[in-house]
Amino acid sequence: MHSESHAQQRTGMAQSVLHEIALALAQLAETGAPNAIDLRSLPMTEADRSELQEALGRGEVSATLDMAGKSDIWETRHAGVWWVRHSGSGDRIASETIEIAAIPDILMAHRDDIRAAAARLSAELAAAAPEPV
Amino acid sequence: MSEPMTIGELLTARGISRRSLLKYTAYLASTLALPPMASRAMAEALASTRRQSVIWLSFQECTGCIESLTRTMTPTLEDLIFDMISLDYQEALQAASGEAAEEALAKAIEDNKGKFVLVVDGSVSTRDGGVYSTAAGKTNLEVLKEVSAHAAAVLSVGTCAAFGGIPMAQPNPTGAVPVSDIVTHIPVVNIPGCPPIPEVMAGTVAYFVTFGKLPELDHLNRPKMYFGDSIHDRCYRRPFYDKGLFAKSFDDEGARNGWCLYEVGCKGPVTYNACATLKWNAGVSFPIQSGHGCLGCSEPNFWDQGGFYKPLSSWAMGNRALIGGAAAVGVAVGALSAAMARQQRNAAVATATPAKEKQP
Repeated sequence: MHSESHAQQRTGMAQSVLHEIALALAQLAETGAPNAIDLRSLPMTEADRSELQEALGRGEVSATLDMAGKSDIWETRHAGVWWVRHSGSGDRIASETIEIAAIPDILMAHRDDIRAAAARLSAELAAAAPEPV
Repeated sequence: MSEPMTIGELLTARGISRRSLLKYTAYLASTLALPPMASRAMAEALASTRRQSVIWLSFQECTGCIESLTRTMTPTLEDLIFDMISLDYQEALQAASGEAAEEALAKAIEDNKGKFVLVVDGSVSTRDGGVYSTAAGKTNLEVLKEVSAHAAAVLSVGTCAAFGGIPMAQPNPTGAVPVSDIVTHIPVVNIPGCPPIPEVMAGTVAYFVTFGKLPELDHLNRPKMYFGDSIHDRCYRRPFYDKGLFAKSFDDEGARNGWCLYEVGCKGPVTYNACATLKWNAGVSFPIQSGHGCLGCSEPNFWDQGGFYKPLSSWAMGNRALIGGAAAVGVAVGALSAAMARQQRNAAVATATPAKEKQP
């Protein structure tokens, strides 16, 4: 099939993305400004994607998020370069980005969720507290 | 009904974390071709807005559009669109019927006057006062005029609402016209396709809810982010076209080798839609990948263009001399027939909608 042979071709796109990552990482190191690259918007073949994944490798941190389908996030062997893959149900990839940041936003708990959790935990403890004698 | 809660409060109350919202906006940013860094600002904006009231009216249509929207294959993620909007009236989905349904419509209009988005699928019958399509004793024409008078904007979903579609095919017995022929006082956004791609419908609505404005539109009032490229521009079979390698029939060697389907009638060069990138059925495939040429279903008059299996060059300006030339000079012929077809299409639209005032 043509589509298979096309998927197996390397187009050089992985190398271009690596250069873009290098620029963004230098900027993060210098100014602290985060950046992100949307891999889905680029005409990458499967072979390009594998090449990029191999080149970036895996670092110390990986996380699996379970909400609205699965998400896999890992730090590559370059500190501050994260692979963020969001799937819908049935493991269809919904979005795939390279984030250049100290930590991807989505890993941090949102202040509104923290506020709601604090209220909920206090309420649970108050409900479970023994009746004063 | 509009709710006093913001989307953020609503999600918190339902136990849906902001991470889910951020994941949704990351997905949206990708389908909307926005910079990925926009997703965080989009999530914050969505969390602090109230749900957008949507009233959905169905006219001369087959219900395929709502089927497409509600049969998305990644429900856990894409269903979040239904948390962003308050779908206040939709005949096929709502529980209410009869007078209760009509009361619900009147109440939804009253509660959200000048603020709701009106979604329409289906074309509008105008012959003999529009009597060929009625509901609850009112013609579609009357209902559209009444309801749109209080709407903020209209989304014409599907080729019937956008361009007249199958009901408008010759001899057009019901005098069917597109929504934009009737509604001229507010913006009308066309989201054509038979049916439209679910991600395109959801993405356009999400864009409006997130940014509080309509996306940039092309000359046919279609969102540029989804209708900016032709199927041909993004087709994985394009390299065969460029090399002049064409299937001549559906079971020949060329077809088996996956060559370009131009000569068996593919309308990809003159069709603007996102099928080649977003694809269908959870990204599994799209017609050309399944071995069939594009029918051009998101273009005006696709139904009366002289045969789905005739090469574009055979009907573009009626010049049959161009047939067969494609194999030798693929790019040149394609560019020429695309240009001619666009001219022809624009002329067809002008003929079909003489009194139309284009919305910005």
